[in-house]
Amino acid sequence: MIKNLIKTLQKSTKQSIDNKEIILDKDLPKNITALKEIYSYPDNTDVQFRSLHINGLDKTAMVVFISTITNTKIIDEHIVEPLLKNQLKDSRIENIITIQSYKKKNNMKDVLIDINTGNAALFIDGEDQAYLLNVTNFEGRGIEKPDNETVVKGPKEAFNEKAATNISLVRKRIKNEKLVIENITVSKRSKNEVYVAYIKDVANEHLLNNVKERLKALDVDAIQNLSLLEQYIEERKHSIFPTVLYTERPDRAVSFLEDGYIVLLMDNSPDSLVLPATFWSFFHSSEDHYLRLIYGNFTRILRMAALFITIFTSAIYVGVVTYHIEMVPPDLLLAITATREKVPFPAAIEVLLMEFAFELIREAGLRVPSPIGPTIGIVGALILGQAAVEANIVSPIVVIVVALSGLSSFAIGDISMNFTIRIIRFIFIIAASLFGIYGMTAVFTMGLFYMVSLKSFGIPYLSPLSPKYKSSKDTLFRRALQNEIFRPGYVKPKDMTKR
Amino acid sequence: MGEPKDKIGIKEYTVIALLMIGTKTTDDIPAMLFDSLMNAGWTAPFIAGVIALVPLTLLLHLATKYKEKNLIDICYHLFGKFLGFIVLFILWLIGFVYIALDTATYTDIISTMYFVKTPSIIIYAVLMGVCAYGAKRGLEQIGSVSWAVYPYLQVSLLLTLILTLGQGKASFLFPIFGPGEWEVMKESMMNLSIYMDFLYLFILFPFVKSTTDFRKGTWIAFIVILFNLTITMVSYVMLFDFQTAMTLNYPYHEVIRSIRMGFLINLETFFFPFWLIATFIKFAAYLYINILLFGKLFNINHFEYIIPAFSTLIVFIGMIPETPTFSVHYFKEMVGNIASPMFFFLPILLWILAKIKGDLRT
Repeated sequence: MIKNLIKTLQKSTKQSIDNKEIILDKDLPKNITALKEIYSYPDNTDVQFRSLHINGLDKTAMVVFISTITNTKIIDEHIVEPLLKNQLKDSRIENIITIQSYKKKNNMKDVLIDINTGNAALFIDGEDQAYLLNVTNFEGRGIEKPDNETVVKGPKEAFNEKAATNISLVRKRIKNEKLVIENITVSKRSKNEVYVAYIKDVANEHLLNNVKERLKALDVDAIQNLSLLEQYIEERKHSIFPTVLYTERPDRAVSFLEDGYIVLLMDNSPDSLVLPATFWSFFHSSEDHYLRLIYGNFTRILRMAALFITIFTSAIYVGVVTYHIEMVPPDLLLAITATREKVPFPAAIEVLLMEFAFELIREAGLRVPSPIGPTIGIVGALILGQAAVEANIVSPIVVIVVALSGLSSFAIGDISMNFTIRIIRFIFIIAASLFGIYGMTAVFTMGLFYMVSLKSFGIPYLSPLSPKYKSSKDTLFRRALQNEIFRPGYVKPKDMTKR
Repeated sequence: MGEPKDKIGIKEYTVIALLMIGTKTTDDIPAMLFDSLMNAGWTAPFIAGVIALVPLTLLLHLATKYKEKNLIDICYHLFGKFLGFIVLFILWLIGFVYIALDTATYTDIISTMYFVKTPSIIIYAVLMGVCAYGAKRGLEQIGSVSWAVYPYLQVSLLLTLILTLGQGKASFLFPIFGPGEWEVMKESMMNLSIYMDFLYLFILFPFVKSTTDFRKGTWIAFIVILFNLTITMVSYVMLFDFQTAMTLNYPYHEVIRSIRMGFLINLETFFFPFWLIATFIKFAAYLYINILLFGKLFNINHFEYIIPAFSTLIVFIGMIPETPTFSVHYFKEMVGNIASPMFFFLPILLWILAKIKGDLRT
């Protein structure tokens, strides 16, 4: 009996899928019954079937839409009202309704896609096609300031969760007909759409096809947003380094577009993905170019220093205290040993303990409800650190070292790179505790070998530093804008010069 | 992976050559030269360099003539299948033994100068582990890494030189020819093997973008190495005088222990990482070339898979000498005595054969 039940169930699912394949019929009630079945009407509360009679043509009609994602006011004023008031006998439907854009489809599948994306479908009795009218209105927030990539000087708009808004923000910056925004559906069930933006006469064809193929090859039911898509399309899932850049700033995305990169946008994602990405794109921030040359490079130096401090301070401390004491000037050495005298742990344990505590405070501070936020900071930083020193669990110099490296880690703005550096820091501490400077150098060299072998969509990770490519040499330092005349050669743009 | 897909450019090639040969000044080669030439030890790299011009020019001449062929193909072409194999096999063997001996030396440097308490087998294992990892990544990666770090390494060497020369005495250099002109000439000839690695670099010929790049790169590397070697040797004599320099096994590491800069008295831990990076890259390149040769000899297409096995083997071979500071030193001199004439006469022989075969006429 159960077998039979399963069989009927399977049959009904099969049928519902078959329904989507059907061609529309001239008979209105037949179409509507099919639609009602597909949408489980009336269980599905926000699907609306509004029937009406067009007086002039003497025909019945039906408007189908999902009320929560459509602009009902437009439906009232521009579809229902004109149709009802129409008295002319021989006017055509497209001349009666006063809506901006529409299209005709005779396939149930296409109709469903449109209704699901917030359009209204108009069925007329005696016609074997439906009018799909553009009345989409998804709810979302407005354009706000960027949260993660803040700048002092420069535009302060950020992407939001509506792809249409994001595209508009991009188009606002590139007023050129060569800016192409293609649309690819990447998931089977939820029909999530990805917008591929590129400049046609700049972006490399081969790269573009590579990206598009990778998007089309996806075989999943749903990909909600770009953060998830990033993990589907990146090359090395287990790599410690990120290979796709994630930015919430339209100006940053656009500057990459202009250099021949490809930008992905998506609904429900307050951000964009930039492909391909090199190490430098994670290291840079958009403000480096908004500030004057000297100031911009000053921040670059600071950031590089912060990067090295984050990775190496704790490890060097461990290495020096354990293996290379002779390196420290005698006075400082005496000071260090005096404070370490009462501490029962080896330096490595001490530092790992504090680093771990710092990471805990950081993670907890991120998840804590905002009213309690400051408390965590006070308890974590002040009381914990102070008490740990007084209880002789850690020495004061370790607190300084860990605080310095922790603080510096915030200078790397990109979330992914930030994680990379925080994790690498631990690897170096362990290497230093095992082999001192020797271990650190070994890990560093291996890391370099690993980094140069990484590729993001076929582009070497450290380019243009190594391997060398023709470019504006925007790596550690940037040059004056007048001298940045080349697009990065490693993305192989169709147009190499910027002027 | 197999053979490299992309070719390396002139920059990458040059710095690989620089790192492979230029680092010799920081191991026990200077000690070897000071042993026999006393205060004239510094002239040996220079004179040997001048002598090395002969085989080098001939090799470059051959390489430009046989455009598509590397050293291996040229050897097979000129010597025939059997003899070519034997010559190449000897080349490979010398290379392999030299890597084992050299890594043993470097391990000895690390364990006697910096990590006295750590068991040297662990140091050795880490060294070879990193080199094997680097070699397994491939030639392009070795080139890229070399290029990325080379400026910093050269600056660190330059800083050492400036500090050393500033604290040294120029009068220690005299008399220029130490034990006598003839002795200097003879010893320089015997130590021609310093530049032997250029021979191995010709295996990389087809993987460099163009013939001009290869030729230019080789000359640039040769000149820079010549000056690096000579000037550092001069600096050793100037700082220590030859009596001390003769007794030191690893002068570079004694130098960075002796110099001081302002309030920083012990600088060795500052220079050590730079030297280490150079070491890792050097042996990664050595290992790669050696195993490339091995793969070619025995027709192994995916030769990178034997890299881990070979590095393990090297660790065990290198660990055999019990007092590496002296025994490895001795073995190296022995290998050098075989390698030096080989480096000098092989290119000449190749060139003559090519001349006889009539390949050099175009």
